[in-house]
Amino acid sequence: MRITQPLKKFCCILLLTIAAQVAHAQSVSGTVVFDDDGEPVPGATVRVRASGVAALTDAAGKFDIKAVTGDVLEVTFVGLKTAEHTVNATTGIVIRMLSEQSVLDEVVVVGYGVQKKKLVTGANLNVSGELVQKQNQVNPLQALQGQAAGVTILSTSGQPGAGMKVNIRGLGTIGNSDPLYVIDGIPGGDISVLNPADIQSIDVLKDAASAAIYGAQAANGVVLVTTRSGGKGRGQVSFDSYVGVQNPIRLAPMLNAQEYRTIMNEQALNSGAALIDFDGMSGLADTDWLAQMFVKNAATQNHSLNISGGSDVSSYAISFNRIDQEGVIGGKAISNYQRYGFRVNTEHKLYKEVLKVGQHLNFNYIRNNGISVGNQYNNTLRGAFITSPLSPVFSDNNKYNSPYNDTSDSPWYNGDGNPYGQMMTNSNNRNDSQRLMADLYGELQPIRNLRIKSVFGINYYAGEYRSFQPLYRFSVYSFNENHTTTGQSMSKGHTLTWTNTASYDFSVGTHHHFDVLLGMESQRYQGTYLLASNWNLLSQFDDFAYAYLDNTTGKAHLDADGNVVETRGIGGGPENLYRRASYFGRVGYNYQEKYMFNATLRADGSSKFARGNRWGYFPSFSAGWVLTNEDFLAGNGISGLDFLKLRLSWGQVGNQSIDDFQFASPINTSTGFSSSDPAAFYVFGTSKTNVPGAYPSRLSNPDVRWETSEQTNLGVDAHFLNSRLELYADYYIKTTKDWLVQAPILATAGAGAPYINGGDVKNTGLELSFLWKDKSGDLGYRVGANGAYNKNEVGNIPTEDGIIHGPTGQLFDNSDEFYRAQNGLPIGYFWGYKTDGIFQNTAEIEAWKSAGKGILQPEVKPGDVRYADVNGDGKIDASDKVNLGVGMPKFVFGFNVGLDYKNFDFSVVANGVAGNKIVQSYRNHANKQANYTTAILQRWTGEGTSDRIPRVTETNVNWQFSDLYLQKGDFLRISNVTLGYDLSKLIKWEYLSQLRLYVQAQNVFTFTRYDGMDPEIGYGTSGWVSGIDLGYYPRPKIYLVGLNVKF
Amino acid sequence: MKMKKIKTYLLTLGMLTGLAGCSESFLDVNPMTSVLDNNFYKTVADAEMALIGCYDGFQRTSSNGNMSFYVTSEVLSDNTFGATGNTDGRAYQALDRFDIAQSPSDNNIFNGTWADYYSGIFRCNTLINKLDGIDFGNDAATRNRIEGEARFLRALMYFDLVRLFEKIPLLTEPTTDNVPQADPLQVYKQIAEDLKFAAANIAATAYPKADAATNDGRVTPFAAKAMLARVYLFYTGYYAKDDLGVSKAEVLQGLEDVISSGEYGLVEEYKALWPAASYVPNAADNTLDKSGYAGMGNRETVFAQKFNNTQNYDGMLDGNRWLVMMGMRNTNYAPYGKGWGACTVNPRLVNSFEAADKRRTASVIDLEREGIAGSFDIKDQREYTGYTNKKYTPVALPDGTSDTGGSNDFQISQDQDFIVIRYADVLLMAAELGSANAQVYFDAVRARAGLGSRAVTRENLLEERKLEFAFEGIRYWDLLRQGLSTAAAAIAQTQNVLSGNAADQVVIKAENISKTRGFMQIPNTQITLSKGVLVQNPGWN
Repeated sequence: MRITQPLKKFCCILLLTIAAQVAHAQSVSGTVVFDDDGEPVPGATVRVRASGVAALTDAAGKFDIKAVTGDVLEVTFVGLKTAEHTVNATTGIVIRMLSEQSVLDEVVVVGYGVQKKKLVTGANLNVSGELVQKQNQVNPLQALQGQAAGVTILSTSGQPGAGMKVNIRGLGTIGNSDPLYVIDGIPGGDISVLNPADIQSIDVLKDAASAAIYGAQAANGVVLVTTRSGGKGRGQVSFDSYVGVQNPIRLAPMLNAQEYRTIMNEQALNSGAALIDFDGMSGLADTDWLAQMFVKNAATQNHSLNISGGSDVSSYAISFNRIDQEGVIGGKAISNYQRYGFRVNTEHKLYKEVLKVGQHLNFNYIRNNGISVGNQYNNTLRGAFITSPLSPVFSDNNKYNSPYNDTSDSPWYNGDGNPYGQMMTNSNNRNDSQRLMADLYGELQPIRNLRIKSVFGINYYAGEYRSFQPLYRFSVYSFNENHTTTGQSMSKGHTLTWTNTASYDFSVGTHHHFDVLLGMESQRYQGTYLLASNWNLLSQFDDFAYAYLDNTTGKAHLDADGNVVETRGIGGGPENLYRRASYFGRVGYNYQEKYMFNATLRADGSSKFARGNRWGYFPSFSAGWVLTNEDFLAGNGISGLDFLKLRLSWGQVGNQSIDDFQFASPINTSTGFSSSDPAAFYVFGTSKTNVPGAYPSRLSNPDVRWETSEQTNLGVDAHFLNSRLELYADYYIKTTKDWLVQAPILATAGAGAPYINGGDVKNTGLELSFLWKDKSGDLGYRVGANGAYNKNEVGNIPTEDGIIHGPTGQLFDNSDEFYRAQNGLPIGYFWGYKTDGIFQNTAEIEAWKSAGKGILQPEVKPGDVRYADVNGDGKIDASDKVNLGVGMPKFVFGFNVGLDYKNFDFSVVANGVAGNKIVQSYRNHANKQANYTTAILQRWTGEGTSDRIPRVTETNVNWQFSDLYLQKGDFLRISNVTLGYDLSKLIKWEYLSQLRLYVQAQNVFTFTRYDGMDPEIGYGTSGWVSGIDLGYYPRPKIYLVGLNVKF
Repeated sequence: MKMKKIKTYLLTLGMLTGLAGCSESFLDVNPMTSVLDNNFYKTVADAEMALIGCYDGFQRTSSNGNMSFYVTSEVLSDNTFGATGNTDGRAYQALDRFDIAQSPSDNNIFNGTWADYYSGIFRCNTLINKLDGIDFGNDAATRNRIEGEARFLRALMYFDLVRLFEKIPLLTEPTTDNVPQADPLQVYKQIAEDLKFAAANIAATAYPKADAATNDGRVTPFAAKAMLARVYLFYTGYYAKDDLGVSKAEVLQGLEDVISSGEYGLVEEYKALWPAASYVPNAADNTLDKSGYAGMGNRETVFAQKFNNTQNYDGMLDGNRWLVMMGMRNTNYAPYGKGWGACTVNPRLVNSFEAADKRRTASVIDLEREGIAGSFDIKDQREYTGYTNKKYTPVALPDGTSDTGGSNDFQISQDQDFIVIRYADVLLMAAELGSANAQVYFDAVRARAGLGSRAVTRENLLEERKLEFAFEGIRYWDLLRQGLSTAAAAIAQTQNVLSGNAADQVVIKAENISKTRGFMQIPNTQITLSKGVLVQNPGWN
C-alpha cells in the first residue's frame, strides 16, 4: 500500500497540530508490523487511549506520537485486529497486528454467496490462490493435485495444454463426469485457461447439500473459482516470472537391434518358420525410436504482471500473463502451448454504498499444436513402440525431399515405417483460440442486509484450426502420394448467463439468525462453425507455413473412368441452441452459532429434454453443531480443543450432460454426416453419381430425463492448540442413478441406441485431512496431509445382460473387449483371463487336460500361458474372464511441507494414488514384427526359465487380454520442491515488500513399481475408464528458476 | 418511505422473475441442421429418400467392413480356403473348417454383419410401416413401387441372414423388443411374400434395361421373380419340403417371364463380365484397356449390389469392402490389384474345368502360369495354392499402383458391383425347374463357355452351376440345397498348401459340417444382450 504525497503532508500537519496541544507528553516512536510476516503496516492509526491523540504510520510502518509511560496505544487498521500496547519505552516499540480473520472467521465462497467457514454445514474444500500459484502449473487444476481430499485429478496426457481428468468423490457415471466450474459466479467457464496468479481462491463443493443450489449441473460436484479483486488502500504491483527446462523422466526400455534379432528368430522357430537371415539384409540399423522422439531441455516459461488497488469507492485488479510450454516430444515445432491472458476486475460503490457495480473480464489468446495422443490409431508416440529397431531414421532415398527413411523396400519389413519421420512430417496443425469470460453486475442494498444482485455474464470463444498433410512415404502402409491436403476451420460461440438473486440476513431476538436467498438464472448457448479443405498447395508454397486454402489449386476433375473427383471439402452450420432456466432458494438458520441448519431447493428446466420431462427439482438439507460452543465443552472441555463441529447433510443434484435433441430420432440425410453418423447415399446406373437418401440413425426416447445423484455426508471439523492443528474428516455415500446412457441395444432394433435413464453407481468414501502449522523462533513450518478412499460399485445397468461393454480393438488390432461396467463391480473394471503361470513341459499340459481343465491355445506347447479355467467347464472362453482390477485409484493422497526461516522458504508437495491397475499395451500383437520392451527378455525359453512371460511366437495366442497386461498403478510423486530466498529485506527501498528468487523442481521423484514411462495415466479409451497405457505422452520433470517481486 | 422502497425493489425482482416465467417457450428450441423423425415421412419426396436409405442399408451390409455374406459363402464352399495373411487370426479357418476350435476366442465373427443386416431391415420396416401416413394423392403406382422395392430389399437381406444362421428373429416392423428366433419356415414365407409383392407391384416398365445407364441397381419385377426362384430352390432343397406358399409352376412361370421379357441376354464373351478378366494392361502409357469389359448394367445383370469409389473415413460408406479381402496378398500385378489374400482357390475346382472351357481363365488367376508367382509375397500368405479368383478382385495399373478412383485408397475405394443374380442363373434355374426349353437354356450357357451340348440332368446342371458361378457366392448354397450329407461330402477334404511358404494342410472334416448343419455362429454379443433369448447354433459353442 502506498500513501500518496498529499496525504503524507496532511499527516505531518496533523501530527504537528496534535504535538502542539500536548506539551507535557514526550515523544514515543516505534513500528507497526504484520504479525505473520513482519512486514510494515503503513497508514495504521495509532491512538493514545487516554488523550485521544492519534497518528498514522508512514510507509515503513513507523510512527511517532506524544505519550507518557503507561499510556495504552490502540492501533487500528482495516482488516486487522485492533492491537493494544502499553508504553514502556520511548523508542523501538514494535506493535504486531494480527489478521482480523482467524481461520474460523474466514469467509468461504458457497453457491451464490459467501459463508463464514465456521457456519458451513456441507463438505467444502478451500484452496487459496497463493497455493495454486506456487505450484507453477499452466493448468490451475494440475496445481490442485494432492491438495484436495476427495478430488481425483489425473493428467490425460503430458502434452502441453492437455486436459485433466477431474473426479470429485469417485466416478458417478459413464457419461460426462466432469464437475461444474463456476468462475466468478458464472457457471460453465474454462478453468484451464485461467492465469494461476489471478486466482484468489478455489472452493470445491463436494457434497450434494453444498452443490444442490446448482441443481442439474452439479451431480459431479462444483468447483467455484474466485479471481482476485483490488482492496482498499495503496496500489500494489506484483511481477512473477519463471523459466525452466523439461526432460522426460524415463524412457521405456525397448529391445535394441541385437535383442530384437534374437527374439524375432526365436519366435520364428517357435512358430515353425525358418530362421531369418538378418546378416544377408543390407541397410539395417540399431535405432532407439523412443529416444529419437523425445527432445532434451524443452523450455517452459511464465510471466505475470498483476496490479491492484482501490479507494473507498472503487477498487481494481488488472493483470497480464504469458505462458509458453514446449513439449518434450518433438520439440516446439511439434508440440507446444502458448497463452496470453488479460484480466480487469473492478468494483465501484454508488449512492453512498446503496448500489455496488462491478465487472470481471478475462481474455485469453491460446495458440497450440501437438501430436496425436488418442487411441492406438491416433497416437503418434505409439509408432516408436511398434517399429523395429532395425529400420534407420534417416536415409538418402530422398523421396519428396524427405531425409527420413522409407521402409517400402526394406529387406526386413516393408511395413515397418518411420515413426519419427511420420511425426516430423505429418504433425502440421495449429489451434488458435480466444476465450472471453466477462460479466457485469450490480448489487443494491436498499436496506441493511438486503442485497439484490443481478449478474450478466458472457463466455465467448472463437477458434481456428489449420492443418496440412504433405506428400510422404514411410512404408507400404504409411504413405500419402496422391495429393497434399490443406484444411482450415473456424468456430465460435457464446453462452449468455443472467442471474438474479435477492438475499436477506436478519435476526430474531439476539440468538436466532436467519439468512435467506432467492434467485433465478437463465442460460443460453449458441455457436457456429465453418470448415473447408482442398488438395494441392501451389508448388511455391508447399509447406505448412503457407497452408491456407487460398494457396491450394485442387479443382474438381474427371478421373480415368470419367467420374467426378471432388477435391474440396466444405461444411458449416450452427451448433444446436441450448437453453436452461432455473429457480432456486436457500434458507439458513443458526442459533448462537451453535446449531446451524441450511436448506436449499433448485428447479431446473433444460432444452435437452422434451416437454413434460424437462423440469427437475433438487432439494438439500444440512445441519451443523458446534460442540465447543456448548457449555459442557466450552467450560471444562478437553484441553487444547478449540473448536469442534459436526456436520450432517443430504441432498440431490442432477446431471444433464448429453447432446441436444437426444429425446428425438434424427434422420440422417446426405448432409452433415460424419464417421459416426454415415451418410445415406446409393449409386444407380453407370455414372458414379450418388443419390441422396435418408434413414433414422438413432431411436428416439421422449422420456429421457435428468440423471440424479443423491448424497449423504457426515463430517467433523476440529481445531486444536490455538488452531495450530486443524483436522477435517468426511464420510459420504453418493448414489448416482438414472444414468444418461446410450446402453447397447440388440442389433435387431436396427438403429443407434437412444439415451435412456438407467444404471446406478454407489460411491462410498472417507476423506481425511490435517494441517499443522506453528512457529518456533524464526522458523515457521507447516505440514499438511490428506487422503481419500473411495469405493465404486455399479448396480442396475438397464441392459438385458446388466453390462455396458467397452469397445474392441483398443489394445492392438482386433483385440477383444477388455473393460466394462457391470452390476456389482466398479465402473470400467478390467475384464480378462487370469493366468496361472506357464506350462513348463508336456507333462504339465497333459496333467492339466486330464484334470478336465480347458486350454485356450489350439496347439498348446510348453512355454504357453496357462489361462485359468475359472468355471472349470473344460474350455477357456469368455465365461472364464474375470475382474482383474480397475484403473481408477481407490486411494488418492497428498502431503505438503512448508518451512520458512528468516528470508528463506522451502516447500515440498507430493501426491499419489493407490489401489489401481494400469494396462500396458505397447506392442501390436497382431504384427509379428512389432518391437517388444525388454520385459520380453525374461520370457520362457525352456523348463523353469519363466513362470510368467510366455515363449515368443508369431501369433498373439499368449497375449489374449489377461493379467499379464496389468501392473500395479500405485505411485507417490514428489511433484514440487521449492527453495526461495527473499532479498527485499536487504534492499533499502521502502515500497519493496517482496523480492524473492527461487528454484523449483517438479516431478523429480516418482516412487512406483510401474515400469512404463509415467504411472499417472488418466487416459482411457472411453471417458469412464483410466489407466490405459498405449504409449502415453509422459509428464516431464521440470527444473525452473523464478522471481516474485511485490511493491 | 423505507417500506415503499422495499416494495419497489421486490416488485423489480418479481418482474425479473416474471420475465423468465415464460420459460417453457424459452426452452423450446429446434435443431437447425438436422431433420427429426416427427417431421419426416410426410411427402412422396420423403418416401423416395427413405427408399434410397433402404438401398444404402443394403449396400452397407457389404461396405461396412464386416464379415460379408459373399466372402463367407466362398470360404464355406469347396471353391476356396480361408487363407488370409499368415499371422492373421484364424477366424477364416474356423469358418472354412466349420470348427471353432481353430480360433476358440472368436465368438463374434458375425456381430457386425448381423447388425448391418438388421439395420438395413429396420430401414425397410420403418419405411413400409410409415407408408400409410404419407400422402401419395392418387399416385398408387408410386406407393406400390416404393413398397415393392423396400420389400424386395428386405427379402434379400432376410434371405442372406436365414441362410447364414437359419434361426433368426423375424421383424416386420421396427421394435426394440427382445425378439426370439423364428421358425425358418416363417422367415422363408415372409421372404416369398415380399418377393411376390415386389414382382406384382413394381411395373415392368419402371426401370427398363434401355435406361440401365441411369437405373442399373434398381429393383425390377424381374429381379424379384428371379430371386424367388433362388429362394424356392434353396428352401425346398435344404428342407425337402414344399410348403412355402408358392408353387413350383408359379416360380417357373416367373423365370419364363424374365426370359420372355426380352430385357436380358447373355453377354457374348464370358470374360467380359469381369473387370480383371477383361482388362488388358498397357505398360507403355501405364493404363488398362477396359474396352473388353461389358460394363455395369450389361444385359446379363438382373440385379446388382452397387458400389462407388467415394468411400472415406468421414461418413461415406459406399465401397466394396469385401473385394479387398479377395485380392492377392500384398501384391499388385496388373491388371490384378493387391488385397488381403483371403479365399485361395482350391486346385480341385481349377482341375474340374474342361480344357476348352473359357471360364477357367476368366475365373481363376493362375499365379504360376501367368508369371506372377515370382513377385508374389508368398511368405505372408496363408494356405497358398497357386490360384486365386479373378472375378472379384481389385485391379492395378502396370506401374504396380492400385487402380481405384476416389481417394485412391485400395482398402476402401473398391467399386466393382456385386452381381447378385445374372441371366445365366435365370436360364439354369428355369432348366432345373423343368422348363419346356430346358435343353435350349442349358446349351446357351454352355455354348458361351465354348462347350458343346450336354444332357439336362439335375447332376449336370449342378456341375455346370459350379463352373459357371464359381466365386459368385452361389456354390455353397447350391451344395447345401442338395442336402447336408451331399454338401459335407463335397466340402470335406485334405489339401496340401503353403502357409508362410512352409508346408501346411487344410483339413476339413465332414463331421463338423454335419454338426453345424451348415449354419454359422450367432454373434455372442447378441446372445449376451438378449440374455440368452437368442440361442447359439449347434457346433459353435
